[in-house]
Order: sequence, then structure tokens, then C-alpha cells
Amino acid sequence: MSISIKINGKDCEGVAGDTILNIARANDIYIPTMCYLTKVAPIASCRMCVVAVEGVEGMILSCQEKAINGAIITTSTPEIEKQRKNIMKLYDVNHPLECGVCDKSGECDLQNKTMEFEVDKQTFTAKEQHRPVQDWGFISYDPSLCIMCEKCVRVCTEIVGDNVLAISSGGYNSTIINTKLDEDCSNCGECMSVCPVGALVSTDFKYSSNAWELNKIPASCSHCSSACQLSYEVKADSIFNNEKKIYRVTNNYEFSSLCGAGRFGFDYANNNVTKDEIAFDNAVEAFKKADTIRFSATITNEEALILQNIKEKYDINLVCDEARGYQKFLNEFNSITGKSLYSGNLENISKSQGIIVLGSRINDDNPMVKYHITMASRRKRARVIYMHPMEDYSMKEIITQFIKYEVGSEEGVTALLARTLINSDDENIKNYLDDLDIGNLSAESNIGEEELADLSKSLNRKSGFSLVIGSDLYNHPQAKNIAKLLGLIEIHTNFEVLIVPPATNALGVSLICDLSDEVNGYTIGYNTEGDFVLSALGNTDLDIPALNQQEGTFTTVDKRVVPTNVGLEYHGYVLNDIANALGLNNKYTIDYTPHLPIKNGYKSIKFDELPDYFDSIGNEHRGYLLDIVNHEQNLDLDEISTLPTYDGSVIYNCNKGTQFSAFTNKSEYLSNETVLKGSSQFATVAKLKDKDKIKFTLNGVNYERVFKIDTLMKGTIAINPTFDMGLSSTLVSSYRFSQPKLEKMDS
Amino acid sequence: MSLEEFKNRNVGEQSYRMLDLEHTPETGLGKFGQVAKRTVKGELFVGLWVTLREMKNALFGGKMHTIKYPLEKLPISPRYRAIHDMLRLLESGHYRCIGCGLCEKICISDCIKMDTRYDENQRKEVSEYTINFGRCIFCGYCAEVCPELAIVHGGRYETASEQRASFSLFEDMLTPIDALKQQKEFDGFGAVSPNADENIKKTPLAY
Repeated sequence: MSISIKINGKDCEGVAGDTILNIARANDIYIPTMCYLTKVAPIASCRMCVVAVEGVEGMILSCQEKAINGAIITTSTPEIEKQRKNIMKLYDVNHPLECGVCDKSGECDLQNKTMEFEVDKQTFTAKEQHRPVQDWGFISYDPSLCIMCEKCVRVCTEIVGDNVLAISSGGYNSTIINTKLDEDCSNCGECMSVCPVGALVSTDFKYSSNAWELNKIPASCSHCSSACQLSYEVKADSIFNNEKKIYRVTNNYEFSSLCGAGRFGFDYANNNVTKDEIAFDNAVEAFKKADTIRFSATITNEEALILQNIKEKYDINLVCDEARGYQKFLNEFNSITGKSLYSGNLENISKSQGIIVLGSRINDDNPMVKYHITMASRRKRARVIYMHPMEDYSMKEIITQFIKYEVGSEEGVTALLARTLINSDDENIKNYLDDLDIGNLSAESNIGEEELADLSKSLNRKSGFSLVIGSDLYNHPQAKNIAKLLGLIEIHTNFEVLIVPPATNALGVSLICDLSDEVNGYTIGYNTEGDFVLSALGNTDLDIPALNQQEGTFTTVDKRVVPTNVGLEYHGYVLNDIANALGLNNKYTIDYTPHLPIKNGYKSIKFDELPDYFDSIGNEHRGYLLDIVNHEQNLDLDEISTLPTYDGSVIYNCNKGTQFSAFTNKSEYLSNETVLKGSSQFATVAKLKDKDKIKFTLNGVNYERVFKIDTLMKGTIAINPTFDMGLSSTLVSSYRFSQPKLEKMDS
Repeated sequence: MSLEEFKNRNVGEQSYRMLDLEHTPETGLGKFGQVAKRTVKGELFVGLWVTLREMKNALFGGKMHTIKYPLEKLPISPRYRAIHDMLRLLESGHYRCIGCGLCEKICISDCIKMDTRYDENQRKEVSEYTINFGRCIFCGYCAEVCPELAIVHGGRYETASEQRASFSLFEDMLTPIDALKQQKEFDGFGAVSPNADENIKKTPLAY
């Protein structure tokens, strides 16, 4: 329902339920705030946002008060201004005058507001406390600079879901405390990004540059399929070296978030590259004689299109191990739904009251999806049902029901889920679901019928449902049928399905490239293994720029095509140069942007015309949303095959925490512990001891790992990271669970 | 002469006195006679005496007026803007610069560059600092903006160099630690005004 209010004499439209502050901001009316952060619920601790409402006695907090139709509001009266100035004075009591060295100086909310309200003398006083600086690893906390706005605590609980920060209240002695100093928090740095003063700063960045010296370059994160908005902040490396260096990453923290990899894993550029003509000529020759181009999905849409064009012109096979399974899965899914894409998106997840996560260790696979699930859990009290063979300790705060199933039984699990959720009148589907051998499926997948009954009961009387599908399923031997069953759920229930792409631009690659399954003949590796290797990891046959040295677009999990810009200059050759040498004529890589396939939902918009901003109330205007195109519908379903069994010890390929790929591994700030982690139960079954050295082979890649017992883990599945395998780390094309032969090595 | 008299330009009304000039000889003999007379009369020594007197004073009386540059230099005004000095804290001997970067920001010829880092004592340390004197126009903004009176203009005004650009590092400009006692407080642009105490607004203290 739309309402109309008058602010400072200006007629403003809004929707019932909007706060006064939001309506004011949407209409470009300024109301000062100190503690308000759009992406979390109003904190209401600063009282700067007070306004006068006609007919209401006293002052109203505009950040949390919902607007009433017809209200007449004044944002500034002498009384209000006096109050605000006093609040600013109180904030300034004993705030150390160390702006000269403070990292925040120049972009500090307190500094700005102190100037704005012309606080030039102090009339209040408080006794000074001894508050030493605390080192929290990635972040250091200076309590004497803290103004207790609580933004950090709110993002930590409401968005990230780590619940690491808390308030130790005690009037003027209040501080923020880190409750998990001994354990790891997820090192996302969200608390630091929302801090309005210099209380929470990056330990690594601290004191290395002033805010105003850094040049902000808007870009998109290249580590996972969320491709979050961020800015690379660059400046000359030092006074003796004029090469630009990325000093830090910031984001539009008011409306969007970043995970630790995005915020701290920015130093993966391919540096010190020059134009090596011999290598370039070799590369062109290699492309001419190549039979296969094998590439990683850590690539821009434009590069993918260039590869596709090369494929069409020279009839070369394209192989992308990361995206192939996903592409097939999506195609099967689409054949049921009759649409070119799934219907879920991140914003809807954060507004859902019922969320099911199936086949993904989502906190590690795509932190941004987890953040949105947390938001739903905190704000909508959402039921979060997490279905996976392994429990995820880091999710325990938000999961309301954990359904554990046997490794390999995903097809049965999906069928059971479909049967539980779908309530359709369609005869065929009804018959298909009724014919399922529930007893057998339950027994094989180890999911009790009462668990499913609980699930279905708990979703009663809720509204807004999301189903998050993860990469355990894409390369499952029965992926085809799983995808079809999920398609049924999509069309016959009110669940919105989100199929999380397994790598940065796996969705883009799936929509742009015609991929083949098999590698044959002479192979060019583009950021992966091959006979002739082009890589941004350095030391290969031809260097290419890393994704923070390129402009182009990514296709995100949100079905959005987002632009990214050149963070650091690159002086070598790029894929487009090779394409031009092969007879495809486009001056720049971004000349391909308007030619992305329209039949798959892309739009013919030039790169330079793509918007990249958030508006004053936080609506995202980054690039464009993919059009959803109608597909041919094919409602054939297969019988559920016998579910495979995985007895004994199982290894699960999963990069933990802030690591995603060989590129995050290049970052020196992120922890790059590469151990095979398992429970003591796994150790018993696999006959291993803590710190044993072992080796095994997966997808043709040899791994040598140290085994470590993790006391937080249970069951007989161990987690194996793949990010440290360099060019081979993208060669993960099989089902994520496997049972390789573990050979002990002599230490 | 009073100002009024001085301003009176009407010829004839003033008390002008005509010089008693000799008649200019017109014949050759007359001219010769005048030269011979002036030569013998010794008028030359009337003027030369002043020079000789000053020479005597300079050589034997210690009253030399010539400055033997570059061995000697004239003192210059504290407001003169020559090559920068970096001052130290008198109490601890630590350099005053806190690395705030304001000099770098305000520099209109973009000649100041600095690198800072987080040091072992949890302080902001200036790890590198240069001024490019090939670009510096000695405007004095850096000294004026410096909140710590750390960068000031010193008295070294000889800026000619063999190279087009010549850089100074932090250490070149910093007061040598053994010369700390001779360090003079800067009086030029950016220095504390003599009545600074009167302008201070006092903050109440809780104890």
C-alpha cells in the first residue's frame, strides 16, 4: 500500500511499513545518522536521526519509526539541531585527537559530523580509561577510538552469522569484545568495513596509507560466483617504485557485504609481465594446431565468448571441468521448468521463512549465500534445513534442522524431498511420486520418514521458500535425474530454487560456451593444465592477466551480469590479442560485451554503458539481470536407480573458509593451511593417526597431504582442500565425495 | 628644509645658492693650465683618503665589510623559505613527524612523497620520505600545514645543483641527533603565534 507524507514541505511517496528515514533518503532528503546501517535492523543507539512530527509530542527516531500516511515531518528545528550538536559533543568526549595518524581520517564519520555540527569546543567531560589496542588477527581493535555504535556487532550476528562480537556494557566503560579469540571467526572483515571510526582496522593495512591517497577502482570480486561489488584501492607501491599496488579492498558496506576472500585476498595479480613476442607467437601457433582448449571457470564472460568464437572458427573442443557438470545439470533442470534459468536469488533468500540447503557446504562454497540465509534466520526467523552428509559446525547458529544423508544417496534424497514438498494434481507427477519406493529410499539414504514429516510440519504457515542447491549434485553420477526432480520442485511448489554455480563464472561459461566432455589431442590450458599453458598464475608458456587486471563482466549466482574494471595495469598480452592474431577482429576484450548470446538471456549493452552503483536506498544497479528465456519443456522422468554406497572412509573435496582457488592461494594474507581434516572416527576407519603424511589420486591429480584430526568434526568423511594445486586445482570434474586409496608416506 | 619648503616648486622663491663654478677655459693653454693646477693641488687625495681610512680600519681595525661568501654568510630572516628542515622533539630526540601526510596532500607542486608503516611500538612510522627540490617552489605550505611543527623551512638557500632534479631524504633534513641542542624553534609560516595561549579553548577535565 502506498502512503504519502510531507517532509520539510516536500511531498514524498513511500510504501506502508517504510521508515521515515528510508522515505527521506529515497527522496534525497538528508537526515544525519551515526549508528544507522541500512543492511541491518535499526540499532537506534545514536539518536541523531530525530525528527519532529506534527501533532506528536517529543522527538521521533526516524530510523525505526514507520511512516504514517499524511504525517507532516520536519527534519531540522533549532531544538533538534541543539540536541544533535550535544550528541556530537558527547561522541567527541575523550576521543583521542590522533586524526593525524588514524587510518580512518578523511573518510571518518565522526570527523565529518564533528565538522558538520561545528563542534569547536567541548563542555562535557568523562574520566579517561586505560584501553589498550587489541590484536584480533586480521583486525585490530582500538577501544579508545570506539564510539559504541554497535554496527560491527550487528553485522556479525545479523549478516555474517558468526556471533563473534558482543558488547560488554558498562556505561562509559563499554567496549566491543571478541568472544571467539581462541577459535577462528570467518575473518570476513565485515565489522571493520562498517566501523565509522578507526576503532576496527585491518592489521595489514594499518598506517600504510591515508584514505585520500588511494584511487578507488570499482570492480567485482572474482573468487566465487557471487561476484560481490568491491573497490580496489590502489596507489604507487612505494616512493621508489611507481608500479601501482592494491592496498586494500573496500565495498559499499551500507548495502552490500564481502567475505574474507574478497576483502583480504586481493593480491593475486600477475605482476612484472612484459610483452614476450616469442611466447606470443608460440601461443598463436599452439591455438592454430590445438584440438582442445581446456579452461577454468575463473574467467570473464568476454573471454569465454572469445574462446567460443575461436572454437566455432577453428572447430576446437572446449572443455571446462568446473562448469561442464553445472551446465548439464542446468540444462536438465531447464528441460523440466521450461525456463532458461532457476528462479531463486539472494535477495529472496534473505526474505524467505523456509530455506532448504541441499548438497553444499554452503559456508565454504559461497559465503554470500550463507550471509543471506543468516539474514533470513535473524530477521524472518526462517526455518533453515541443512541437508548434507556432514555437519557444518560454522552453521550451527542458524540451522534449525540438520538432515544427514548417506554419501552418494543424493538422488534418493531429492526424490524424498520432492515427494514431501510437492502437492500436485498432475496425474503423471502424482503417479511418479507415489510409485517411489519410500522405504527403500529412506533406508538407503538414512533419512527417517519422521525427519521429513518434521520438515514438512515446520514449514507450515510460513511464507517465502528457497531451496539452495550446491555443487555436490552437479557431478553426481545421477545428476541428470536429480536436476529433473529439482525442476519438479521448482514448478510444483512455492520453493524458489537457487543452483549455486561451483566457480566464479561457471554460470556465464554454461550460458556462453558449447562445452565438450572429453579432452583429446593437443590441448591448450587456459589457467589450467594443458600441452601449452596460458595462465595468470605466472611461470607458464604465456602469461595472461589475472581477473583484477582485466575489464569485463561476470555472470553471478544472482543471474546478474556485473562489470569489473582494471585494478592493476597489465603490460603483457591478453586473450584478445591472440584472438586478433587468429582473425577475430575486436580492438578490446570489452568489445565482446554487447555480443554475449542474447538467446540465453544476455542483453546487447555496451560495457561502458553498464551501470555500477547502489542508489540512495540500496537498490542494486550493477550491470543487468539476465532475461529468463522460455525453453522447450520435457517432462520425462527417469526411475530412481539403485543408490550407490560409500562404506568406510570418504574424502570430500572442499576448500575451507577464505580459500576458493589457486588465486586466493596466491594471496599472502589469507591462511593457506592445506591439511586433510577428519574426525577421530575417520582416523580409525582409514587407519590413520594425527599428522600422518599420506598421498592419493583424485581426477588424475596427485595429492600429498598431512592428516589432521579436527575435534569439531564427526563421521567418516574428511575434507580435502584443492586450492593449493595450482593449475590442477580446477581439474575437479567428478562427484565431490570419493574413496581414493590412501597411501601412507614415510615422514 | 621643511616639507612645505621642499614641495614648493616655484623657482626663485626658494633659498637656492648658486655654486661658485670656475670659468671654463677656452684656449688650449688655459685648459692645460687647469689640468696642471688640479694635478698639483692634491684634490685627488681628499677622496682617496676615505678609501685609505676604510682600508686601514678593515685591515688593522677589524672592521671588514666584505662577506667572504661562501665562507661567511649573512644571517637570514626566520621567515625566509629555504631548504626544509625536519625537527626533533627536544625531550626524547625522536623525530616530530607523525606521518599524517598533510604536507604530501597540500603540496601544490606535488614534490613530497612519503611511505608509512605500523612499527613495532604500535606507532605510525615514516619509513620513507622525499622532497624533490627540482619541483619544489618553496611556497611554505608544507611547513604551514604541519600540525607538529616537524617540517619547517631552514636556512640552506643554496639550491643550485648539478642535476635537474635533486631529492632529499628524511635523514638529510633531520636535525642530527648530536646537534639537538642547537636545534632552533622555527618562527616562520606555521609557527605558533605569540598569543597562542590566549586562543586555546580549554577542555574540562574529569579529574
